[in-house]
Amino acid sequence: MPSPADRLPSRKSGARGFADGFKVWNRKLHYYLGLYFLFFLWLFAFSGLLLNHGAWSFAQFFPNRKVTIFERAVQPPTSARDLEQARDLMRQIGIQGEVSLNAARTDLARLDFNVSRPGHVYQIQAYLIQGRAKIAHTEYNAWGVLRTLHTFVGVSLDDPRNQRDWVLTTVWAYSMDAVAAGVIFMVLTSFYMWWGLREKRKLGLAALGLGTAVCGLFVFGLRWIYAG
Amino acid sequence: MKQFYAVTRDLHLYFGLFISPLVLVFAIGVFFLVHGWLPGTIQTAASRSVGDLPVPTGIELLSGREQVNALRGVLDRLGVHGEVNFIRRISKEHRLVIPIVVPGREVTVDLNLETRSASVTSRGDSMWSAMVYLHKMPGQHNANIRGNWVYLRIWRWLADTTVYLVLFLSISGIYLWAVLRAERRIGMALLAAGAFSFFGLVYAIAR
Repeated sequence: MPSPADRLPSRKSGARGFADGFKVWNRKLHYYLGLYFLFFLWLFAFSGLLLNHGAWSFAQFFPNRKVTIFERAVQPPTSARDLEQARDLMRQIGIQGEVSLNAARTDLARLDFNVSRPGHVYQIQAYLIQGRAKIAHTEYNAWGVLRTLHTFVGVSLDDPRNQRDWVLTTVWAYSMDAVAAGVIFMVLTSFYMWWGLREKRKLGLAALGLGTAVCGLFVFGLRWIYAG
Repeated sequence: MKQFYAVTRDLHLYFGLFISPLVLVFAIGVFFLVHGWLPGTIQTAASRSVGDLPVPTGIELLSGREQVNALRGVLDRLGVHGEVNFIRRISKEHRLVIPIVVPGREVTVDLNLETRSASVTSRGDSMWSAMVYLHKMPGQHNANIRGNWVYLRIWRWLADTTVYLVLFLSISGIYLWAVLRAERRIGMALLAAGAFSFFGLVYAIAR
């Protein structure tokens, strides 16, 4: 039977082993995640910049859009719900994307709705009794696609009526969640790595403190300063 | 070469620490924007009425930044500060409806130009809505009046700085990883997997 003195070093080395393993994997996961999400990060960073600088002439998309208007014969949908009717009409016309229904419907013989996906917007006016649909298809260039990818989530805080209804919007939305969660994880792992570098703690604290102060001013401070 | 590595590593560390709170704000805001939900959004509005306001004549005929600047005196008198989100003119009723935002709180001023009075309604007071607002600002809407409050102009600069530093961090991060020979193979595999997921998804959505 080993004495307490024998057991102590092994317990210590076990804890140290865990700490070392944690340190190694913390570092590995930091750059593994960074590498996996690299293209997503570049997309959201660059498209964020484009959204904030709409006047940049090289990235104009709206003046360069292509609009095509055409008509299709359609069978009146049998479903009672607007969204189901819209989906039925989309199947018949042969388009895919996220549906957004227009303002409350007053005429049951007509259904107006939009279908969008990055780079494409379809405005559809379906005349159900006449069995035809008028479609305005707007096509945007690559800059338009980039901008839309940044905001393509299918829901809005300002309009709770519209829900996500296209499977690829859902996949894209969850990949945005994954990127955000990955970024948060990378920030936390970076804090741990930095804290391990004793000689860099002071300057690191100054950098982190400055960033926190600036950020705190906007998230909390301004509401406090301009209370009332 | 050793010196270049050391400098890159230090810059990666310190720039990363500086922007990490800003990156967290942008990242946390994503969850609310993606799911169209915000905690504590149903909040009671506080209202008050104020009369005898110094409304400049012909203010309803102005537009854009000029109109915002002309309204500042009225807003100061009302004690309302922040970024004017937009100005809605209701000509028939001689009214201007002006939402003004301080990150996390929105005040709506309903200005009656005939009676020179206004009702002021304040809504919301939450850090979550502040994060969402900051994520979206300055954004693509109402570009002609955006940045009419000094703090939003500063935020515009900070948002840009965050993007440029994220780009720097990602490029310097690639360099710091590439130096680690033992990690190259798995790193390349992850980079390829990320590229495949990204381009595959973008192609499926945007084709």
